[in-house]
Amino acid sequence: MDWQNTAYAATQIVHNFGAVAVVGGAVCALAWREATVQRRLSWIVLAGWATQAVSGATFGAISYYYYAKFPDIHGIAVAALIVKMACAAFGFTFAAWQLFAHPSAASSRHTWLVLCVLGALALSSAAVLRWFS
Amino acid sequence: MRNLIMLLLVLTSIAAPLAIAAGSKIDISSPMDGAKLDVMEQNKLEYNITPGSDGDHIHVYMDGKETALLRQLKGSHTLESLAPGNHEICIKIVNKNHTPIGVERCIKVTAE
Repeated sequence: MDWQNTAYAATQIVHNFGAVAVVGGAVCALAWREATVQRRLSWIVLAGWATQAVSGATFGAISYYYYAKFPDIHGIAVAALIVKMACAAFGFTFAAWQLFAHPSAASSRHTWLVLCVLGALALSSAAVLRWFS
Repeated sequence: MRNLIMLLLVLTSIAAPLAIAAGSKIDISSPMDGAKLDVMEQNKLEYNITPGSDGDHIHVYMDGKETALLRQLKGSHTLESLAPGNHEICIKIVNKNHTPIGVERCIKVTAE
């Protein structure tokens, strides 16, 4: 059993489902306007961004555990990682704001649009990070 | 005593993962270590990599700065234009997550 690859793969599975939650949740919220549905979707998106942050950090932790080093990334990859981290921070904040600040319908819709953009940006940055590291 | 044994077991399990990367190898056939390179020429790094069970691809470094990511395990790579002086060129085998697995080979060259 290759525990190192198993650990990376398990983390990747969690990270992928986090990505589905943040993008899918925000897109669904733009389509379904009912308050109860929106509240559930806010929780899903909030959990999704938290999952993204924790699983992203876990990739680095696995590398450090096995090699006492973090991934060696430079240039464009570092920029992509910073964008991903910023998306996670803002995404989590906006999702929490949707849940706890009780915004107006118009503000809520704008926030969901921002959350959609943040999700798409994070997904795009992930591809850049993966191949330009 | 039992606590001491438990502590040793825990420390061993933490340290064990650091001792891997067996079966990985890097050969640099050109330039040779200590070679003198012409700054006006297009210099190529020729290499052959055995990634082993943990390695996936390589990162190339010039004077400590990463200059290329290569997925081809055997081939040549055109080096960036070299400023006159001494330089160190290194290849590190990294895993799929771009983490150096502890196998690297460096050569020193002089560009004139």
